[in-house]
Amino acid sequence: MRVLVRLLSALLGLAVAGAGALLALEVGWQWWRPADAPLVLPWPEWRETLATVGWNSSQVRITAALIGVAGIVLLVAAALARRRDVAFADPADEVTVTTSPRSLARVVGQHVRAHDNVTAASVTASARKVRVRAVSALTSERELRPELLDSVATLLGDLPLTRQPKLSVVVDSPKDRR
Amino acid sequence: MTKSVSAKAVARSYRTERGLTFTVGVLALLLGAGVSALGLGWFGTYRAQRPVLDPIALDWLGRQQPALLRVLVIVIGVVLLGFGLWWFVRSLRPERHPDIELDRGEGTALTVTSGAVTHAIEADAETIDGVNRARVHVVGDRENPALRLHLWLREGTDLRQVWADVDDRVLTRAREALGVRTLPTAVRLELGAAQRQRVR
Repeated sequence: MRVLVRLLSALLGLAVAGAGALLALEVGWQWWRPADAPLVLPWPEWRETLATVGWNSSQVRITAALIGVAGIVLLVAAALARRRDVAFADPADEVTVTTSPRSLARVVGQHVRAHDNVTAASVTASARKVRVRAVSALTSERELRPELLDSVATLLGDLPLTRQPKLSVVVDSPKDRR
Repeated sequence: MTKSVSAKAVARSYRTERGLTFTVGVLALLLGAGVSALGLGWFGTYRAQRPVLDPIALDWLGRQQPALLRVLVIVIGVVLLGFGLWWFVRSLRPERHPDIELDRGEGTALTVTSGAVTHAIEADAETIDGVNRARVHVVGDRENPALRLHLWLREGTDLRQVWADVDDRVLTRAREALGVRTLPTAVRLELGAAQRQRVR
Protein backbone atom coordinates (compact mmCIF):
# COMPACT_ATOMS: atom_id res chain seq x y z
CA MET A 1 0.00 0.00 0.00
CA ARG A 2 2.81 2.38 0.81
CA VAL A 3 4.34 1.92 -2.65
CA LEU A 4 0.91 2.49 -4.18
CA VAL A 5 0.51 5.78 -2.31
CA ARG A 6 3.97 6.90 -3.43
CA LEU A 7 3.04 6.09 -7.02
CA LEU A 8 -0.38 7.77 -6.78
CA SER A 9 1.24 10.78 -5.19
CA ALA A 10 3.74 11.05 -8.06
CA LEU A 11 0.96 10.77 -10.64
CA LEU A 12 -1.14 13.42 -8.87
CA GLY A 13 1.86 15.74 -8.72
CA LEU A 14 2.43 15.24 -12.44
CA ALA A 15 -1.27 15.90 -13.15
CA VAL A 16 -1.22 19.12 -11.11
CA ALA A 17 1.95 20.29 -12.87
CA GLY A 18 0.49 19.48 -16.30
CA ALA A 19 -2.80 21.23 -15.54
CA GLY A 20 -0.97 24.33 -14.30
CA ALA A 21 1.29 24.43 -17.35
CA LEU A 22 -1.61 24.05 -19.81
CA LEU A 23 -3.68 26.68 -17.98
CA ALA A 24 -0.90 29.27 -18.03
CA LEU A 25 0.01 28.40 -21.64
CA GLU A 26 -3.51 28.62 -23.06
CA VAL A 27 -4.40 31.83 -21.26
CA GLY A 28 -1.11 33.47 -22.22
CA TRP A 29 -1.41 32.38 -25.85
CA GLN A 30 -4.99 33.60 -26.11
CA TRP A 31 -3.89 36.96 -24.70
CA TRP A 32 -0.91 37.29 -27.03
CA ARG A 33 -2.50 35.99 -30.26
CA PRO A 34 -6.29 35.86 -29.93
CA ALA A 35 -6.56 34.94 -33.63
CA ASP A 36 -4.83 31.50 -33.36
CA ALA A 37 -6.53 30.95 -30.03
CA PRO A 38 -6.48 27.30 -29.01
CA LEU A 39 -2.84 26.21 -28.80
CA VAL A 40 -3.01 22.62 -27.56
CA LEU A 41 -6.43 22.05 -26.03
CA PRO A 42 -9.67 22.58 -28.02
CA TRP A 43 -11.14 24.73 -25.24
CA PRO A 44 -13.55 26.81 -27.42
CA GLU A 45 -15.35 23.55 -28.25
CA TRP A 46 -15.47 22.64 -24.59
CA ARG A 47 -16.96 26.03 -23.83
CA GLU A 48 -19.71 25.54 -26.40
CA THR A 49 -20.53 22.07 -25.09
CA LEU A 50 -20.57 23.18 -21.47
CA ALA A 51 -22.84 26.12 -22.32
CA THR A 52 -25.52 23.70 -23.59
CA VAL A 53 -25.19 20.96 -20.94
CA GLY A 54 -27.25 21.45 -17.77
CA TRP A 55 -26.17 20.56 -14.22
CA ASN A 56 -28.87 17.89 -14.07
CA SER A 57 -27.81 16.18 -17.33
CA SER A 58 -26.69 12.58 -17.07
CA GLN A 59 -23.14 13.29 -18.33
CA VAL A 60 -22.50 15.77 -15.54
CA ARG A 61 -23.98 13.44 -12.94
CA ILE A 62 -21.90 10.47 -14.13
CA THR A 63 -18.73 12.59 -14.19
CA ALA A 64 -19.45 13.86 -10.68
CA ALA A 65 -20.03 10.33 -9.43
CA LEU A 66 -16.76 9.15 -11.01
CA ILE A 67 -14.83 12.03 -9.41
CA GLY A 68 -16.39 11.21 -6.05
CA VAL A 69 -15.48 7.53 -6.36
CA ALA A 70 -11.92 8.42 -7.37
CA GLY A 71 -11.74 10.61 -4.25
CA ILE A 72 -12.87 7.71 -2.07
CA VAL A 73 -10.26 5.43 -3.66
CA LEU A 74 -7.52 7.98 -2.89
CA LEU A 75 -8.76 8.35 0.69
CA VAL A 76 -8.78 4.59 1.24
CA ALA A 77 -5.30 4.18 -0.26
CA ALA A 78 -3.93 7.00 1.91
CA ALA A 79 -5.63 5.64 5.03
CA LEU A 80 -4.33 2.09 4.52
CA ALA A 81 -0.73 3.21 4.03
CA ARG A 82 -0.02 3.66 7.71
CA ARG A 83 2.78 1.87 9.50
CA ARG A 84 1.85 -1.14 11.58
CA ASP A 85 5.13 -1.61 13.39
CA VAL A 86 5.23 -3.36 16.73
CA ALA A 87 7.38 -1.33 19.12
CA PHE A 88 9.80 -2.70 21.67
CA ALA A 89 10.93 -0.85 24.75
CA ASP A 90 13.90 1.38 23.94
CA PRO A 91 17.05 -0.35 25.20
CA ALA A 92 19.05 2.90 25.33
CA ASP A 93 18.74 6.57 24.57
CA GLU A 94 18.33 7.30 20.87
CA VAL A 95 17.86 3.65 20.02
CA THR A 96 14.43 2.62 18.77
CA VAL A 97 13.58 -1.02 18.23
CA THR A 98 10.62 -2.25 16.21
CA THR A 99 9.49 -5.38 14.46
CA SER A 100 6.81 -6.22 11.94
CA PRO A 101 3.45 -7.75 12.90
CA ARG A 102 4.28 -10.60 10.54
CA SER A 103 7.42 -11.29 12.51
CA LEU A 104 5.51 -11.38 15.79
CA ALA A 105 2.94 -13.72 14.26
CA ARG A 106 5.76 -15.98 13.03
CA VAL A 107 7.28 -16.26 16.50
CA VAL A 108 3.91 -17.03 18.11
CA GLY A 109 3.09 -19.50 15.34
CA GLN A 110 6.36 -21.38 15.76
CA HIS A 111 5.77 -21.51 19.49
CA VAL A 112 2.20 -22.80 19.17
CA ARG A 113 3.07 -25.39 16.55
CA ALA A 114 5.82 -26.73 18.78
CA HIS A 115 3.16 -27.65 21.33
CA ASP A 116 2.54 -31.40 21.56
CA ASN A 117 -1.18 -31.52 20.89
CA VAL A 118 -1.37 -28.91 18.16
CA THR A 119 -1.58 -30.23 14.61
CA ALA A 120 -1.82 -26.88 12.83
CA ALA A 121 -2.08 -23.23 13.77
CA SER A 122 -2.62 -19.87 12.16
CA VAL A 123 -1.74 -16.61 13.84
CA THR A 124 -2.51 -13.01 13.02
CA ALA A 125 -0.83 -10.28 15.00
CA SER A 126 -0.82 -6.53 15.38
CA ALA A 127 0.63 -4.28 18.06
CA ARG A 128 -2.70 -4.48 19.91
CA LYS A 129 -3.92 -7.99 19.41
CA VAL A 130 -2.64 -11.47 18.75
CA ARG A 131 -5.13 -14.04 17.48
CA VAL A 132 -4.24 -17.70 17.55
CA ARG A 133 -6.31 -20.34 15.83
CA ALA A 134 -5.04 -23.81 16.61
CA VAL A 135 -6.22 -27.16 15.29
CA SER A 136 -5.88 -30.16 17.51
CA ALA A 137 -6.78 -33.70 16.60
CA LEU A 138 -6.56 -35.21 20.05
CA THR A 139 -7.40 -32.60 22.66
CA SER A 140 -10.61 -30.69 23.17
CA GLU A 141 -10.76 -26.92 23.36
CA ARG A 142 -11.49 -26.99 27.08
CA GLU A 143 -8.24 -28.77 27.85
CA LEU A 144 -5.92 -27.16 25.32
CA ARG A 145 -7.04 -23.53 25.37
CA PRO A 146 -5.86 -22.64 28.90
CA GLU A 147 -2.50 -24.30 28.22
CA LEU A 148 -2.00 -22.36 25.01
CA LEU A 149 -3.17 -19.09 26.57
CA ASP A 150 -0.71 -19.56 29.36
CA SER A 151 2.27 -20.50 27.26
CA VAL A 152 1.74 -17.82 24.59
CA ALA A 153 1.21 -15.20 27.32
CA THR A 154 4.53 -16.23 28.83
CA LEU A 155 6.20 -16.03 25.42
CA LEU A 156 4.80 -12.54 24.82
CA GLY A 157 5.68 -11.53 28.35
CA ASP A 158 9.29 -12.46 27.67
CA LEU A 159 9.41 -10.14 24.68
CA PRO A 160 10.11 -6.58 25.87
CA LEU A 161 7.16 -5.04 24.02
CA THR A 162 6.04 -1.53 24.94
CA ARG A 163 2.46 -2.70 25.17
CA GLN A 164 1.36 -6.23 25.69
CA PRO A 165 -1.10 -7.23 22.99
CA LYS A 166 -4.40 -8.79 23.92
CA LEU A 167 -4.39 -12.48 23.31
CA SER A 168 -7.20 -14.58 21.93
CA VAL A 169 -6.93 -18.31 21.38
CA VAL A 170 -9.41 -20.48 19.54
CA VAL A 171 -8.96 -24.23 19.36
CA ASP A 172 -10.59 -26.19 16.62
CA SER A 173 -10.86 -29.84 17.54
CA PRO A 174 -12.90 -32.74 16.14
CA LYS A 175 -13.46 -33.91 19.71
CA ASP A 176 -15.70 -30.92 20.30
CA ARG A 177 -17.93 -31.75 17.35
CA ARG A 178 -19.30 -34.97 18.80
CA MET B 1 4.92 15.59 19.82
CA THR B 2 8.33 15.62 18.19
CA LYS B 3 9.78 12.30 17.33
CA SER B 4 13.36 11.57 18.20
CA VAL B 5 15.88 11.14 15.41
CA SER B 6 16.04 7.41 16.00
CA ALA B 7 12.25 7.05 15.83
CA LYS B 8 12.27 8.89 12.52
CA ALA B 9 14.90 6.52 11.19
CA VAL B 10 12.69 3.44 11.62
CA ALA B 11 11.30 3.79 8.12
CA ARG B 12 11.11 6.36 5.41
CA SER B 13 8.55 9.06 6.13
CA TYR B 14 5.39 8.93 4.08
CA ARG B 15 3.75 11.88 5.75
CA THR B 16 3.87 14.35 2.85
CA GLU B 17 2.84 11.85 0.19
CA ARG B 18 0.03 10.48 2.31
CA GLY B 19 -1.14 13.94 3.32
CA LEU B 20 -1.21 15.23 -0.26
CA THR B 21 -2.97 12.11 -1.55
CA PHE B 22 -5.48 12.37 1.28
CA THR B 23 -6.11 16.06 0.54
CA VAL B 24 -6.69 15.39 -3.15
CA GLY B 25 -9.06 12.58 -2.19
CA VAL B 26 -11.04 14.88 0.11
CA LEU B 27 -11.22 17.60 -2.55
CA ALA B 28 -12.34 15.13 -5.24
CA LEU B 29 -14.97 13.67 -2.92
CA LEU B 30 -16.31 17.14 -2.03
CA LEU B 31 -16.34 18.20 -5.68
CA GLY B 32 -18.15 15.05 -6.77
CA ALA B 33 -20.67 15.29 -3.94
CA GLY B 34 -21.25 19.02 -4.54
CA VAL B 35 -21.85 18.65 -8.27
CA SER B 36 -24.09 15.63 -7.65
CA ALA B 37 -26.11 17.60 -5.09
CA LEU B 38 -26.42 20.48 -7.53
CA GLY B 39 -27.49 18.15 -10.33
CA LEU B 40 -30.07 16.43 -8.11
CA GLY B 41 -31.64 19.79 -7.42
CA TRP B 42 -30.82 20.07 -3.72
CA PHE B 43 -29.81 23.71 -4.18
CA GLY B 44 -33.01 24.50 -6.10
CA THR B 45 -34.79 22.81 -8.99
CA TYR B 46 -34.16 25.68 -11.41
CA ARG B 47 -30.50 25.95 -10.56
CA ALA B 48 -30.13 22.30 -11.52
CA GLN B 49 -31.53 23.03 -14.97
CA ARG B 50 -29.10 25.86 -15.76
CA PRO B 51 -26.14 25.16 -18.05
CA VAL B 52 -22.77 24.29 -16.51
CA LEU B 53 -21.19 27.41 -18.01
CA ASP B 54 -23.83 29.69 -16.56
CA PRO B 55 -24.40 32.96 -18.50
CA ILE B 56 -24.74 34.80 -15.16
CA ALA B 57 -21.25 33.68 -14.11
CA LEU B 58 -19.82 34.49 -17.56
CA ASP B 59 -21.37 37.97 -17.42
CA TRP B 60 -19.81 38.55 -14.02
CA LEU B 61 -16.44 37.38 -15.35
CA GLY B 62 -16.76 39.64 -18.39
CA ARG B 63 -17.26 42.69 -16.16
CA GLN B 64 -13.91 42.13 -14.38
CA GLN B 65 -10.61 43.67 -15.49
CA PRO B 66 -9.50 41.34 -18.32
CA ALA B 67 -5.77 41.98 -17.86
CA LEU B 68 -5.95 41.40 -14.09
CA LEU B 69 -7.92 38.22 -14.56
CA ARG B 70 -5.47 36.86 -17.11
CA VAL B 71 -2.44 37.68 -15.01
CA LEU B 72 -4.11 36.04 -12.03
CA VAL B 73 -4.89 32.85 -13.99
CA ILE B 74 -1.37 32.68 -15.46
CA VAL B 75 0.16 33.12 -12.01
CA ILE B 76 -2.07 30.35 -10.64
CA GLY B 77 -1.02 28.13 -13.55
CA VAL B 78 2.69 28.74 -12.97
CA VAL B 79 2.32 28.15 -9.22
CA LEU B 80 0.49 24.88 -9.89
CA LEU B 81 3.25 23.85 -12.33
CA GLY B 82 6.00 24.53 -9.79
CA PHE B 83 4.14 22.87 -6.92
CA GLY B 84 3.24 19.85 -9.05
CA LEU B 85 6.84 19.36 -10.20
CA TRP B 86 8.13 19.63 -6.62
CA TRP B 87 5.51 17.09 -5.55
CA PHE B 88 6.35 14.70 -8.41
CA VAL B 89 10.10 14.83 -7.85
CA ARG B 90 9.70 14.47 -4.10
CA SER B 91 7.51 11.40 -4.48
CA LEU B 92 9.84 9.59 -6.85
CA ARG B 93 13.15 10.57 -5.26
CA PRO B 94 14.90 7.63 -3.65
CA GLU B 95 15.68 7.82 0.02
CA ARG B 96 18.88 9.67 0.84
CA HIS B 97 21.79 7.89 2.44
CA PRO B 98 24.07 10.69 3.56
CA ASP B 99 27.79 10.41 4.16
CA ILE B 100 28.93 11.05 7.69
CA GLU B 101 31.16 14.06 8.29
CA LEU B 102 33.73 13.34 10.90
CA ASP B 103 35.69 16.52 10.85
CA ARG B 104 35.09 19.84 9.19
CA GLY B 105 37.74 22.21 10.32
CA GLU B 106 39.53 25.08 8.61
CA GLY B 107 40.79 23.67 5.32
CA THR B 108 40.24 20.06 6.28
CA ALA B 109 37.30 17.82 5.66
CA LEU B 110 36.92 14.19 6.55
CA THR B 111 33.83 12.32 5.54
CA VAL B 112 33.05 8.65 5.60
CA THR B 113 30.86 7.46 2.76
CA SER B 114 27.67 5.79 3.87
CA GLY B 115 28.65 2.57 2.11
CA ALA B 116 31.88 2.26 4.07
CA VAL B 117 30.08 2.78 7.37
CA THR B 118 27.32 0.33 6.63
CA HIS B 119 29.55 -2.49 5.43
CA ALA B 120 31.68 -2.29 8.56
CA ILE B 121 28.68 -2.27 10.89
CA GLU B 122 26.96 -5.07 8.98
CA ALA B 123 29.98 -7.31 9.33
CA ASP B 124 30.15 -6.44 13.02
CA ALA B 125 26.45 -7.11 13.65
CA GLU B 126 26.54 -10.46 11.91
CA THR B 127 29.02 -11.75 14.47
CA ILE B 128 26.39 -11.42 17.22
CA ASP B 129 25.06 -14.73 18.42
CA GLY B 130 21.61 -15.32 16.96
CA VAL B 131 21.85 -12.79 14.16
CA ASN B 132 21.43 -14.45 10.82
CA ARG B 133 21.74 -11.46 8.55
CA ALA B 134 22.20 -7.76 9.04
CA ARG B 135 21.57 -4.82 6.73
CA VAL B 136 22.56 -1.31 7.69
CA HIS B 137 21.71 2.03 6.11
CA VAL B 138 22.64 5.56 7.00
CA VAL B 139 19.47 7.67 6.80
CA GLY B 140 18.40 11.18 7.64
CA ASP B 141 20.28 14.28 6.51
CA ARG B 142 23.87 15.41 6.91
CA GLU B 143 23.18 17.36 10.09
CA ASN B 144 21.30 14.53 11.79
CA PRO B 145 22.47 11.22 10.40
CA ALA B 146 21.02 8.06 11.90
CA LEU B 147 21.56 4.36 11.48
CA ARG B 148 18.91 1.89 10.44
CA LEU B 149 19.82 -1.63 11.48
CA HIS B 150 17.79 -4.43 10.00
CA LEU B 151 18.50 -7.66 11.85
CA TRP B 152 17.19 -11.11 10.98
CA LEU B 153 17.23 -13.26 14.11
CA ARG B 154 17.22 -17.03 14.31
CA GLU B 155 14.39 -18.87 15.97
CA GLY B 156 14.56 -18.90 19.74
CA THR B 157 17.08 -16.10 20.11
CA ASP B 158 17.11 -14.24 23.40
CA LEU B 159 16.19 -10.69 22.50
CA ARG B 160 17.67 -9.07 25.58
CA GLN B 161 21.02 -10.66 24.88
CA VAL B 162 20.93 -9.42 21.28
CA TRP B 163 20.08 -5.92 22.49
CA ALA B 164 22.90 -5.91 24.94
CA ASP B 165 25.31 -7.08 22.24
CA VAL B 166 24.02 -4.55 19.72
CA ASP B 167 24.35 -1.71 22.18
CA ASP B 168 27.61 -2.74 23.83
CA ARG B 169 29.54 -4.04 20.91
CA VAL B 170 28.24 -2.86 17.59
CA LEU B 171 26.97 0.60 18.40
CA THR B 172 29.67 1.43 20.89
CA ARG B 173 32.31 0.49 18.37
CA ALA B 174 30.57 2.46 15.65
CA ARG B 175 30.39 5.49 17.93
CA GLU B 176 34.02 5.18 18.86
CA ALA B 177 35.11 4.70 15.27
CA LEU B 178 33.14 7.71 14.11
CA GLY B 179 34.09 9.76 17.14
CA VAL B 180 30.56 10.80 18.00
CA ARG B 181 28.95 10.71 21.40
CA THR B 182 25.49 9.70 20.29
CA LEU B 183 24.48 7.84 17.19
CA PRO B 184 20.69 7.66 16.79
CA THR B 185 19.79 4.15 15.71
CA ALA B 186 16.60 2.44 14.67
CA VAL B 187 16.72 -1.33 14.94
CA ARG B 188 14.26 -3.37 12.98
CA LEU B 189 14.07 -7.00 14.00
CA GLU B 190 12.81 -9.86 11.90
CA LEU B 191 12.08 -12.56 14.43
CA GLY B 192 12.22 -16.28 13.77
CA ALA B 193 13.65 -15.88 10.29
CA ALA B 194 14.16 -19.29 8.77
CA GLN B 195 17.67 -20.52 9.17
CA ARG B 196 18.95 -21.61 5.84
CA GLN B 197 20.17 -25.18 5.93
CA ARG B 198 23.21 -25.71 3.84
CA VAL B 199 23.14 -28.93 1.85
CA ARG B 200 26.33 -30.88 2.02
